[in-house]
Amino acid sequence: MSHFWLSSLPRLVMIIVLLVALSFVSPAFLSVQNLTNILRQASLLFLLASGLTVVILTAGIDLSIGSVLALSASVAANFIQQGWIWAGSLIGLAIGAACGLLNGLMVAVGLPPFIATYGMLWVAEGFAQVFMKGEIISGFPTGFRFLGAGYLAGVPVPILVMIVVLMVCIFALRRTNFGRYVYFFGANREAARLSGINTRGNLLLVYSLSGLISAFAGLVYISRIDAVESTIGEPLLLPAIAAVCIGGTSLFGGEGGIGGTMVGALIMTLVTNGMNLLNASPYWQPFVMGAIVVLSVAIDQFGSAKVETA
Amino acid sequence: MAEGLVLQLEGISKQFPGVKALDDVSFDLRRGEVHVLVGENGAGKSTLIKILAGAHRHDTGRIVISGQPADIHNPAQALGLGVSVIYQEFNLVPFISVAQNIFLGREPRHPKIPGLIDHARMNAESQALLESLSVDIDPRSTVHYLGVAQQQMVEVAKALSVNAQIVVMDEPTSALTTREIEQLFAAIRRLTARGVGVIYISHRLEEVFQIGDRVTVLRDGKWITTMNVQDATMDVIIQAMVGRTIDRMFPRDFAIEKGEVALTVRNLHRHGVLQDINVTVRCGEIVGLAGLVGAGRTELARVIFGADPYDAGEVTIFGRTVRGSPAASVAVGVGFLPEDRKREGLALILPLRENVVVASLRRLFPSGVIKRAKEHTVVTDFVKSLDIATPSINRMTKFLSGGTQQKVVLAKWLCTQSRFLIFDEPTRGIDVGAKAEIHQLMNELVKQGAAILMISSELPEVLNMSDRIYVMHKGRITKELSREEANQEAILRHAMGVTT
Amino acid sequence: MSETLRREWTRRVAMAPGAVYALILLSLVFALFTAQFLTLHNLTNVGMQGSVLVIVSLGMTLIILSEGIDLSIGPVLGLAGVVLALAVKQQVALPLAILAAIATGGTFGALNGVLISRLGLPPFVVTLGSFGMAQGLALVLTEGSSVPGLGPGVQYFNDGRILGFQVPIIMTAIAFLVVYVILYYTKFGTYVFALGGNQEALALAGVRTRLYKTGVYVLGGILAGVGALVMTARMNAAHPTVGVGLEFDAIASVILGGTSFERGKGWLGGTMIGALAVSVLRNGLNLIGLSTSWQVSMVGVVIILAIVVDSLRGI
Repeated sequence: MSHFWLSSLPRLVMIIVLLVALSFVSPAFLSVQNLTNILRQASLLFLLASGLTVVILTAGIDLSIGSVLALSASVAANFIQQGWIWAGSLIGLAIGAACGLLNGLMVAVGLPPFIATYGMLWVAEGFAQVFMKGEIISGFPTGFRFLGAGYLAGVPVPILVMIVVLMVCIFALRRTNFGRYVYFFGANREAARLSGINTRGNLLLVYSLSGLISAFAGLVYISRIDAVESTIGEPLLLPAIAAVCIGGTSLFGGEGGIGGTMVGALIMTLVTNGMNLLNASPYWQPFVMGAIVVLSVAIDQFGSAKVETA
Repeated sequence: MAEGLVLQLEGISKQFPGVKALDDVSFDLRRGEVHVLVGENGAGKSTLIKILAGAHRHDTGRIVISGQPADIHNPAQALGLGVSVIYQEFNLVPFISVAQNIFLGREPRHPKIPGLIDHARMNAESQALLESLSVDIDPRSTVHYLGVAQQQMVEVAKALSVNAQIVVMDEPTSALTTREIEQLFAAIRRLTARGVGVIYISHRLEEVFQIGDRVTVLRDGKWITTMNVQDATMDVIIQAMVGRTIDRMFPRDFAIEKGEVALTVRNLHRHGVLQDINVTVRCGEIVGLAGLVGAGRTELARVIFGADPYDAGEVTIFGRTVRGSPAASVAVGVGFLPEDRKREGLALILPLRENVVVASLRRLFPSGVIKRAKEHTVVTDFVKSLDIATPSINRMTKFLSGGTQQKVVLAKWLCTQSRFLIFDEPTRGIDVGAKAEIHQLMNELVKQGAAILMISSELPEVLNMSDRIYVMHKGRITKELSREEANQEAILRHAMGVTT
Repeated sequence: MSETLRREWTRRVAMAPGAVYALILLSLVFALFTAQFLTLHNLTNVGMQGSVLVIVSLGMTLIILSEGIDLSIGPVLGLAGVVLALAVKQQVALPLAILAAIATGGTFGALNGVLISRLGLPPFVVTLGSFGMAQGLALVLTEGSSVPGLGPGVQYFNDGRILGFQVPIIMTAIAFLVVYVILYYTKFGTYVFALGGNQEALALAGVRTRLYKTGVYVLGGILAGVGALVMTARMNAAHPTVGVGLEFDAIASVILGGTSFERGKGWLGGTMIGALAVSVLRNGLNLIGLSTSWQVSMVGVVIILAIVVDSLRGI
């Protein structure tokens, strides 16, 4: 445990540096309004990245999270807009879980995770497009909008949701049997199997969770922006992966955690915010995201304990 | 003395953590001779070869090739010095042609068109090489589709093509039919006729007499003897391989009462791997499983544990038939300590604590929530009772010594309260002190009513720890020996399938 | 023919890759369902539209053969097209502009290759990152909009004819020939197979594996640049996002054509057939009147099924 917090130190330092730097760039940066905004944005990114973190901990990957988010949110939105808030939400979550389950099945059969989930990315994207027919659904009932745009005790709801999810995930990963299985699986899949862990079942569960969480993140997201179209998921994949990688979770499995992803999401959001403040063209964002992914993986390579033993 | 000697290894020693693999070994190879290298598993043969091949660095001693001192740093360099090693798992690229494999890295250039390979010349030269070995393979055929024996011939042709002076063959005949072995020997004779020196490693002692000019025996990392084959006999060789002093390493109490039957294996069959296996193990006894590498012992253990499937027969553990999954076996009360504990037994990047409890989580924490205090107590108790050397239970497992790591694996299974344990090479890669401790623990376990099936390639360990011994050879059990009947020669003979 | 060769070829024919069946099956189905499919006009269309896919898939074949993958090839193509268009608009001589586009592709290939071979980073993450970078650069350079009206010089590469055949088809044929020769007649090609089949054997033979591994990605990037030329010519404009999704089709073409992700097993001709099959699939779905959105899914489903079947079938 101490090992983990120690390696988080450089990242926490990075956040402080970014905060300081940005406060120099713009006087408005340190206002409560702006900081709350940043936290809220980071929450949304964090939510999406949290399921991905669990998958990556098992030495896998889920490239479909953006499309699954879009698909499940699109279908859910259809019902929610007509007033069926709970039914719509449940349907959305079910779709997310189903896509995740399919991913898990493909991986269990032996397909490399990046190919399986990359394929799912296109399939889900396609179905989202079919469903939406290129249109936008907007204008959700107030009850639903509370999730993304509401406030509780002065704090934006997404931030509260993030805190809850963060705590639940930390608890699940560090304090439950399931969490142990996840880490052990990622650290050494064969040893896990030979220790009596049901590796197949865990695989299916982990990918299904990822899909489910993507769908949940989608609900919060569309509640916030009060609209949905089939392409909302596209720009979310890279930042999510970047958040996980920057957060210190190793792509090789068995190392890292949700706390790191939270930190990573914060850093990514600060970078985006900073770019906006500097009036950089929004088109630079994919470039920066891509560069950050590559950089963080490269840095990770030098520090990964697992690679040294291989 | 140096003339006629293509290779001299003098005073080679190699130390690995916890184990001295080679101790002042000297070995020489003449031009045009076949020098057979024999010894039990762990005698040091493969380490010696790996040093020659550049895969390991020797600690002391020197290497002289064709009269010139050689400092070998890496495999490519060894190749350049004329050393060609043909390993059991061939080093071929599957989906290109035979000719391309033979000339890998040295492709002849097209005479007219720059940048292209001269396929015609490559094929013709390969054809010539293969014909000189009396082998009928079309050099244009893709290696992947060739049979094992043919692929081996490609390796030999490759060695010829690089004008290797020293060719090492590691267990070349393990997968060949009699006729193919004849062909291999003919090819070897052609090699030696050209002055190439061949180092031939084999467990099949009859081959010493079929193809060897001289034979060297290694034992426990030391050179024992080198003799001309015409002066040697089978008995003399076996005696050299085996004779050793036995020290107080094996605390066993054999007067334990045997309890219920832990394991029954009946007519077990796994296509191509195991045939007609019948084994029983009872509580209170340690049953040894002896045999050579490739005899099928680990395969049998894995099938019993459920790590691999089987085709016919029955495996019953504590009265329950098991098949198919390790999880099911663990639930019935079996534990498996694998041969390769780093790759299959432990998650090295996780702390010791987690490795100990991983298989018992459901039992210890049925609600699914882990209670730190309880985990701490449980693990600390094992650290004490097994005398696990570690500053803290949170230490990352990869920093522990080999002996300590093995104890962690043992702790893992003891934590599950397994009563039947399968040990695959329990003390491999462990220093002498820790070895004795592990043996002590094993004795304690069976005294308390556990049953142990132990695979071991170290004959003293097998002989002194086992109540009974099954000897395996080529996927079958060739003999069951009681403690009284068992001795080193008997085991070796049955392990090699030698019928006196 | 010797015994060993004959046995080998019988086995190869028997285990023909999925692409062959797919192409035949799809062609039959569409020929039956729509009268327009088998017309010369339509088939030429398929050929023209498939040309970019074939060119890009050729490079992808070598990459996958060497046990790698390149997810960035789509946006790299888009970026190369943008570079070409912008250069033309700036009155740069056409040959130089084309060179710039190809160099763009090659540079990204080099970037990928160096990161993968030198640092040992997983290919899919590195190329996912460069996906973003290429995409971002393309967007930045064009500020999100297309660059239209490139003039007859560029248009020649779509409308022109050589020996009676449209230029894209000629270019595809030339690209195929060049890559074929590289793969089967040069040592570079041998090493590509070795990188995927047994990298240690290659290292043991004293070959500089890192150099050749990087080279494979560079070649892929160069081919993407060539593909960008054809694509830009066809649309007479450069769109920054035009390439997205192309990599999926390319990967599918390669896998359907019999190349595996491991072991260095593959067939360049199969990739051609696979690319044709994918193009026929898209063309046919279009003719049937299926909306583009359905197409995206259907193609995805078909391709995943093919890959799953292929991996279950084993080698």
